[in-house]
Amino acid sequence: MTDAVGSDFRMRDARERVLGTVPFVLDHRVDGMVHAKTLRSPHPHARLLGVHADEALAMPGVIAVLTGADLTARPDINPYFGGQRADQPVLAIDKVRYAGDPVAIVVAETDHEATEAVGFVDVDYEELPYVVDAVEAAAPGAPVVHDDVPDNNVATWRLSHGDCDAGMERADRVYSGTYYSPGASHVPMEPMVCVARWADDAVELWTSAQAPHAVSRGLEKLFSLPAGGARVHTLNVGGGYGAKGQIKIEPMVCFASLMVGRPVRMELGRDEVFQTIGKHAAAVELTTGVMGDGTLVARRMRVNYNAGAYAVTSVMAAGQGLTRANGPYTIPHVDIETVATYTNTVPSGPFRGAMTSQLSFAYESQIDDIARDLGMDPLELRRKNLLRKGDVYPTGESLHDLHYDALLDDLESAIDWRAPVRPAPPGKARGKGMGIIIKNTLTPSRSEAVLQLGRNGIVTVHSSSVEMGQGAAATLIQIAADRLRLPTDSCVIGFPDTDLTPFDTTTSSSRTTSSMGEALADAARDLHAQLTDLAVQHHGYDAHRLEHDQGHLIDPERPDVRIPWTDLLEQAGLPELRGQGVFQSDFGLSKMDRLDVHGPVSVHWHQGGAAAEVEVDLETGKVEVLRMHANCYAGRVVSPLRVEQQNQGCAIFGLGPTLFEELDYQDGVLVNPNLSDYMIPSIVDVPQVVTSTAVESSDPTAEFHGVGEMALPAVSPAVRNAIQAATGARLDSLPLTPERVLRELDRGPVAPGGAR
Amino acid sequence: MTQTEEQASVIEVPLRCDGHSQVVEVPAQEALLETLRERLGITSVRGTCGIGVCGTCTVLMDGKPVSSCITLTVQSGHHEITTAAGLPKTAEGLAPVQQAFVERGAYQCSFCIPAMTLAVHAALADPEVDHTVEAVRERLSGNLCRCGTYPQILQAVMDLLTPTETEESGDTGR
Repeated sequence: MTDAVGSDFRMRDARERVLGTVPFVLDHRVDGMVHAKTLRSPHPHARLLGVHADEALAMPGVIAVLTGADLTARPDINPYFGGQRADQPVLAIDKVRYAGDPVAIVVAETDHEATEAVGFVDVDYEELPYVVDAVEAAAPGAPVVHDDVPDNNVATWRLSHGDCDAGMERADRVYSGTYYSPGASHVPMEPMVCVARWADDAVELWTSAQAPHAVSRGLEKLFSLPAGGARVHTLNVGGGYGAKGQIKIEPMVCFASLMVGRPVRMELGRDEVFQTIGKHAAAVELTTGVMGDGTLVARRMRVNYNAGAYAVTSVMAAGQGLTRANGPYTIPHVDIETVATYTNTVPSGPFRGAMTSQLSFAYESQIDDIARDLGMDPLELRRKNLLRKGDVYPTGESLHDLHYDALLDDLESAIDWRAPVRPAPPGKARGKGMGIIIKNTLTPSRSEAVLQLGRNGIVTVHSSSVEMGQGAAATLIQIAADRLRLPTDSCVIGFPDTDLTPFDTTTSSSRTTSSMGEALADAARDLHAQLTDLAVQHHGYDAHRLEHDQGHLIDPERPDVRIPWTDLLEQAGLPELRGQGVFQSDFGLSKMDRLDVHGPVSVHWHQGGAAAEVEVDLETGKVEVLRMHANCYAGRVVSPLRVEQQNQGCAIFGLGPTLFEELDYQDGVLVNPNLSDYMIPSIVDVPQVVTSTAVESSDPTAEFHGVGEMALPAVSPAVRNAIQAATGARLDSLPLTPERVLRELDRGPVAPGGAR
Repeated sequence: MTQTEEQASVIEVPLRCDGHSQVVEVPAQEALLETLRERLGITSVRGTCGIGVCGTCTVLMDGKPVSSCITLTVQSGHHEITTAAGLPKTAEGLAPVQQAFVERGAYQCSFCIPAMTLAVHAALADPEVDHTVEAVRERLSGNLCRCGTYPQILQAVMDLLTPTETEESGDTGR
């Protein structure tokens, strides 16, 4: 064995990262490249009557102005894309569906010329009634975003377990509330940026994306290309958080390059990044029936996710939300419905802690309210109802690999739950709060890997998992080395290239360490088996006696038998050996009846929590988070530093939508698409100390769990509950702004039973 | 401004960047960020907000951090511009601040990190900034990191604030 897994193995390019020489697509240039800029709709909903490009075409350097008419004129192009519902045109065709919807592309010799000319393209619009709120959009008579979907319903999912009505009937007390999370922006520091060029009816592109193969397949469909017709490269990605998980600007760039016959580069401005993808706003109606002793007996939940103008992943994502909505509790009678609804807003997609933060803000806030009303310790109420080994989840599965007791114990000690809060200065109040969450991982999904052993003894890891700061490259080297029983020094990895690195569904849903890790284990077995075969063929050894150790085959009982892998290759006259590996889950939501979800929906369950201590200024309502703790169940830890960074990252990233991040729509238009009006946490907005715990399995062969977003959905309720502990303010809408806190403080504390 | 006017207003600017002097010919309204990236090929300086609030385009001008996306190149002439490559290096090839970031793992996607190291370097060199973590932290409020690497960045700052034995003996250039 090696010490690869569990060691402090760092990213190999640490120096380059700090010096700034690590490659980003932002820096990528191609000979003969020209530049594209997008003209976007100023209206939330409008019929497109005509685009006038003559003036722009006469501007210096302008090569082309492309519109939806150019798209539909080409029989070889399917103008609509979308992995789950092909509803998004590359450029607006008949109408625009949100303010920011791309209408035309200007291609020019320089970026400045393209930007300048965009202002000279005239568009005639006929404005239409629009809808921003998903609950309004789901009501009869609402403006219709897509003509073929008259009720604006992207998807409806239902899950029922036990008899919810009977459970509510039997409950001693029933609690109801509506909890609201607004839209938010991922704000990856590197914007979406793409360079594409065509040659011989195939397109090659470099793009800042989390799922190179999904981009490749989407483009092949769009441009009627054979498999392999769209070769996608990614480099180091400057942050994703879900924003770059699906095909985004690549269709526009490839279309522009096809039309002008030259390589085209497009880099989004910050306002355009805001206008490209956001977090689902959600309204969550939650009713919970409780016995007098705190036993949860029934839960009814209605969730309306705002999908925005195009489905992106909302069809399936609403289903993912469905399976997470119950929370990490054992409740015998459950009835959950999630819907995703079209509106005239920026399209929504997975946002770190995807679809879960909206739900946990509801159920983890309500559980504190229940505890306070019953006069119970919120921690003990959680403990009383925890989902434990062997318990039946509302999907009907009996779950086993559960660690909520350990997670709660850890939150309790990390935040000194039992100790009284430290005294607050005059005019301020302090309190502590916590939250825990459950989250499935993308299932079904597929990861393939190749381990290529060369004559020099170096193994190249071929994987399409994307390095975006989470340390995937280093983690996969550790896992490959561990499975191959090699030192990490003998393993190298490059960037994804869909021509060279095999298929992977996506680098998201915290699935890489687990799913790609399994594919690597499979590839290592394959490579080992091939090497053993060579030893048997060329040396006549007994395969059963041989073991792999540090790049050699050995017979543990005969110290003289120690055959280097490289000798085996040389003797066989082989330049290389390639071990192939696959991880594939074949079950899950996409195979189920959406209106009656039942059965296993995840290869394993992600578990995490967070605790916060806050100080509330009673005069201004401002909330300062004094300390945060984040934890998760990590299975077998690959890199302690990276788990810590992911947990801390969850806490810090999560404080943004908790305290101040919100997409602000006025008259149907997003009015804060910039980092001055939409602020993200800076170093002074977050506690100086953010602690982290990875709850590990005691089993040295335990599976790896992803850790990228486990604590995040617990952050908002932890802070919200801490504010309640400090002041009695019972907040039900995010973000927890001073205005909202003051309004609740002015209403006075909530008495037991919910009355004021 | 039309293209013709733009061409007419090209200005020669003597630029001193990372110890190298050169004259660049730029339009009057060109931002320093663009000059550094597109003309000098310095890609460690990165723009992303366009309005001088995120800090990823930070460079040092005569030792003080400025946002190169809202600094005109014509304003930068006759000043000493420093990017990540221009920080004084020790024998190991990294500046002390860079070494501290590497040791603490203070990088994730790393888009913001070169700028962050410049901001830390400037704060530590500024006689008006107390040598405390709190004071340095205040000076970093204009450098955003969406991955949330702040805890490791503060650890690196603490390392830099804590004199090591070798440093006390004057062995490092810190």
